[in-house]
Order: sequence, then C-alpha cells, then structure tokens
Amino acid sequence: MKIALVSSISPFVYGGGRNIVEWLVPHLEEAGHQVEVIYLPFIDKREALFPQLTAYRTIDLTDQVDAVICFRPPSHLVRHPRKILWFIHHLRAFYDLWDTEYRGFPDDAAHRALRDAVRNVDNVALSEAARVFTNSAVVSRRLLQYNQVASEVLYPPVAEPERFHSAGSNGTVVCVARLEHHKRQHLLIEAMAHTSTEVRLRIVGTGSRDYVQSLAERVSELGVGDRVAVEDRWISEDEKVEVLSTCLASAYLPFDEDSYGYPSIEAALSRKATLTTSDAGGVLELVQDGRNGLIAEPTPVALAAALDRLASDQARTASMGEAAYDRLAELGIDWATVVNRILA
Amino acid sequence: MKVMVANNMEPFVRGGAELLADNLVLHLREAGHEAELLRIPLSYRDWRTIPAQMVAARNFELANVDRLIALKFPAYLLRHEQKVVWLLHQYRQAYDLFDAGASDVPATPLGAEFRSIVATADSEALSEARAVFTNSSVTSQRLSRYNGLSSTVLPPPLNDPERFRGGDPAGYIFAGGRVNEMKRQSLLIQALAKTPSSVRLIIAGPPDSASTARELEALAVRLGVQDRVRLDLRFLTRDEVAELVNHATACAYIPVDEDSMGYVAMEAAQARKPIISCSDSGGILELARHAQTGWVCEPSASSLADAMTEATQRAPLSRKRGVAAYELWTSLDLSWEHTIQRLLA
Repeated sequence: MKIALVSSISPFVYGGGRNIVEWLVPHLEEAGHQVEVIYLPFIDKREALFPQLTAYRTIDLTDQVDAVICFRPPSHLVRHPRKILWFIHHLRAFYDLWDTEYRGFPDDAAHRALRDAVRNVDNVALSEAARVFTNSAVVSRRLLQYNQVASEVLYPPVAEPERFHSAGSNGTVVCVARLEHHKRQHLLIEAMAHTSTEVRLRIVGTGSRDYVQSLAERVSELGVGDRVAVEDRWISEDEKVEVLSTCLASAYLPFDEDSYGYPSIEAALSRKATLTTSDAGGVLELVQDGRNGLIAEPTPVALAAALDRLASDQARTASMGEAAYDRLAELGIDWATVVNRILA
Repeated sequence: MKVMVANNMEPFVRGGAELLADNLVLHLREAGHEAELLRIPLSYRDWRTIPAQMVAARNFELANVDRLIALKFPAYLLRHEQKVVWLLHQYRQAYDLFDAGASDVPATPLGAEFRSIVATADSEALSEARAVFTNSSVTSQRLSRYNGLSSTVLPPPLNDPERFRGGDPAGYIFAGGRVNEMKRQSLLIQALAKTPSSVRLIIAGPPDSASTARELEALAVRLGVQDRVRLDLRFLTRDEVAELVNHATACAYIPVDEDSMGYVAMEAAQARKPIISCSDSGGILELARHAQTGWVCEPSASSLADAMTEATQRAPLSRKRGVAAYELWTSLDLSWEHTIQRLLA
C-alpha cells in the first residue's frame, strides 16, 4: 500500500513531534508498504492561524496514495478518503488551556469567535477521518469532552526498543530527562534530604541554565552532594541505554504530562521500575503503584519514603522492573501492534 | 544560515528536480549551513485545482528561516522576505505548452482567465524575490517572454562529478537517461539500422512505462539490430551509469526541446565524451556543438546514423571532440561551491 505520513513542523526544530513520524516509517516499510513523509510548516501565531488552516485544507492526496496518516495539528485537515489520525494534541490554547495562564490572549468576543471557529474546523476534520487514534488516554478524553469524538489510544513506542536491556543494579535511582522545572528534578533532590537509606540519585539531561543552576544550589544547601549527582549534559542514545541498564530504578515526575513520556517507556524496556507522582498525568497510564513502580504524593517526604522502599528491598524493586517490561506488552506498546492497528 | 529549500512534490514521484533539491540541501550542509527541504504536495492532474493549490502555497508561514530557495511552481509563491528563486520550471501548461497546443487548459474564456491568474501570481511572487536564477537559458527566455521578467541562468552542477573521470572507449554509443517518447530512443534504434555492423548502441535507463520498453525491444527485432543494441531498461545505480559513460565512444542524447543542459550531456562532457544530439534538443545544444564537442544532427535516422558511424569509425576525432566537450563544460565553472555562493549572495 502507498501511505503518506503528514505532519506539521517548525523549520529546523527536530525531535519532539517528528520522532513519532520518523520512527513509524521503517516499520511500515518492513510490513511491505511504500511510505512518503510530508512535513508542512506551521507556526502557532494567532493572526496567521486561518490562512495556514486554509493551506492545509487545500492539500488533497486523494488518488495519489492509498491512505494518509496524520499526526500533529493541523495536518488532520488534509483530504483523503482513507484518512487515519494519530492525534497527538489539540491547538491547546483553544481547548484545555483556554482557562489557564497559557492561553496568551484575552478572553473576549473576537477570541471566543476564533476559538469556536477552530473547534468547528477540527470537528469537520475529525468527522471525516476513517479512524482516530491518540497517543494517550488524556488526549482521548479531551477529544471526547471538547469534540464529542470517540478515539482509540495507540501508545507510541520508542525507536529500536530492542536496544534497551537490563544489566543488574548499581543501587542508583536515575532520572534521564530534560532538566525543566515542570519535570521537577528539584523535588527529587529535596526528597534525598529526607531519606534514611543509602540510596543514591543521578540526574542527567540538558535544560535551561537557571533551572540547572538552582538544582546545583539545592544540592549543596541540603548537603546531599555525596549521594546526588546532577549532570547537565546531552547524553547519547547509547549512553542512555547503558545508564538505564545498570540503575536500580528510574524516576520520572513531570507535572500533568499528556502522555506517558518516553523516559517511562525506556525504563520499562530496561526492566526497571519507575518512581512517579500522583499528579504526573499520562505517566499514570503506565505505572501502577507497587506493581511496576511507585506512585508517591508530590512532596519531598513522600518521595523520600518511596526512594527508601526502592533501595531497601532491591529484590522487590527488581521484580517490579520485570513487571514494568511486561506492562508494555499488556498495553501493546510495540511497533507490531501499531502497524497492525493503524492500518486495520 | 538556516536555509529552507522549497520544492513541490507528488507522492512517490522522483525525477531530476527531486535529485537536484536533495543535492542542494546536502551541499548547503557541507558548506556549513543548516538546510532543510520543504516539499509541498501539488497535483497537476486537473488544471482547475491549480488556483486553490496556489493559494495554499501562498498561505504557509515560514518562521525561523533565514533564506528561502524556491525551485518550482508553486513553491516560489511562498512568502519570505529573503526569498531566492532558482527556477526549474513554471506551470508550463499555462504558458509555452498552451501555445504549443500541448496543454489541458482549454482555449476558452475560462482557460484564458486561468492562464492570466497563473501569470499574475508568478509575476508578483517572482518580483518579490531577492534574485531570480533559472536552470537554463530556455527557462530564462520563457520567463522573459511570458512574464517580462529578467533572470540569471545558473545551471545546476553535476551531483557526483568524481564518478565521471572518463576511460578508454570500448566501441559503443551510449544513450542514458529516462526512456520515453520525448527522449526519442526509438529514433536512435532506427538510426542504428542505417549504420554499418561495426556500430553498437547501449540504451540504459528507467522507462516511463512498461509498454515503452516492449516497443523498443520489438523495434530492434523488427529492424534486425537486436544483436547490436543492448537495452538495459531499468533504474541503474550511479556507479553503473558512470561505468557505461566512462567507456563509451560517444554519448547520444536527443530529447525534444529540453529545458536544461541535461544531466546526461553534462556527465558525458565531464567524462570527456563527445555528444551526439539533435538540432531541436533545446538546452542540450549549450554543450553539444556540431563539429566541436560532438555532432548536432537533424532529427532523422539517416542524419543520426552518419554521426554514429563517424563517431565509431574515427576514434581520434571522437576523442578530440570529447576533450573539447570537457573543456567547454569546465569553463562554465559549475561547482556546488560556486553555485551556493551565488544563491546565498
């Protein structure tokens, strides 16, 4: 089958929304399909919104390919009789972020009209789709709530999952993720001041300078430098595999994330339990407390207790790691499932 | 510099323009720039859908881009303050192909209005550009005739000149490139039938359709030259193409009124091979010059047969014209380095 994968991009910004597209390509090709990736530019600028939506809407791939899979908005506006959506988020300012500080423009008649128009456009595009998949239950709930559209959750796996493996445990809990305030590495550092075991913490990633600086300061203020390492650097994929393979467990506590987040999947593929928090959003679709990881309240004390549990019963932690791996199969987070379901 | 190269695309169709776009991106990166390729879907199937597609190209936003290099209609309709156009071709159905009676646009008031829409948009979008380059004098002439715009010819360099280092001639005429009616491989077979038995021909390249391939094979059999022509009708690797060019006695390329110099002719010249072409082959004649860099024939079997015979039987003459082709080609200084300097000037 000839399949076009259509998504929107910001020029010269890589990773993020492009990953899901590019990782899918080889799996569709292995399944015998011909694949063409079509990236079109999109900028989230209010004045330029409708001209851009018009441009996307004009793209008609009928008769040129057998099926179209659309990812990031507004790629779902393109036309094709067999249009499959793998919907990864709305234009959120007009949806769930409307009533938050992230809206970025006034709640007045003009903007409410714009919001209603965006929702109408989305409703039309969604209603044309042959199938609607999302990347998480959170996004599916939003589609139902705002657009009255039912969808199926299809979790995106990571690239080449087989490269991850376990090589025992060195007793360290690792957090491999971008260093950002909403990823809350600072909470982990604060928790380390309340632990009673010899558990160690290693934080690796790149991030904003201010936040990185504040993490370093917190480590020294709390005097936990002997058990906490903060490495502000880019980590290669190979090194990430190695770091995860030898850790005790992984910690990942973003605030209200849309999807489960790649760090949770990478830990599970490395047969490691994930420590997260009760307000982590999509991560909770994957992590079950006491089975394949621990879910703590987002406080230093609660996280400290969880870190101690991971360190004090390492056999139990290892078996939760095995359960984390099994959980991926349970949720069908693998490329074979994706290819089967998306073209079913 | 962040350079966006913009082209249009039809899913799963790849030709010279796509190859050029890919190589431009590659060479921009080698020159130390960030480069990305934007491919805007365009369906040519029905002229009536073209205006909406033009509007689409006009409405995309390009943020975080320092320079746009647009190659084809309607990619050059994109708005950008630092737009450079390297025009490969316009929507020819609204221009020269219409005049030649080879367009699906009807000669009706509606068709006339449509052509005026295309011409107006082209003139406006091209006038916005910092610079307008074209791939050949043919393209520049059309732009001047139909839109009254001047432009600078900047022929695309060879993508892999190092492969075409020449070699001893093995006594065959080589005809490479895509195989279809416009490229007239059938005329070469008819010419072969009029040459002495020492003349041999190799035709190698991807046929546009399976029927084209079958017709050529049948023609060779019917004219009794199947033992003197080798038909290798498929997509060849670059190494295979270079091997065939490097050991040819001469290269024949006789398209009908081609826009550009043509990679086939450029590769021949790079490999020091004389070029056999026809007086109506368009841009090829910038490299193929009669009695200097090769043979420019009438588009007839007998005229081509004379050239193929002379090329085969007079090896020193072929060698001399091949060297002249190389000298003419290299005097144009079409390196990627130079080309990118001009595009980003």
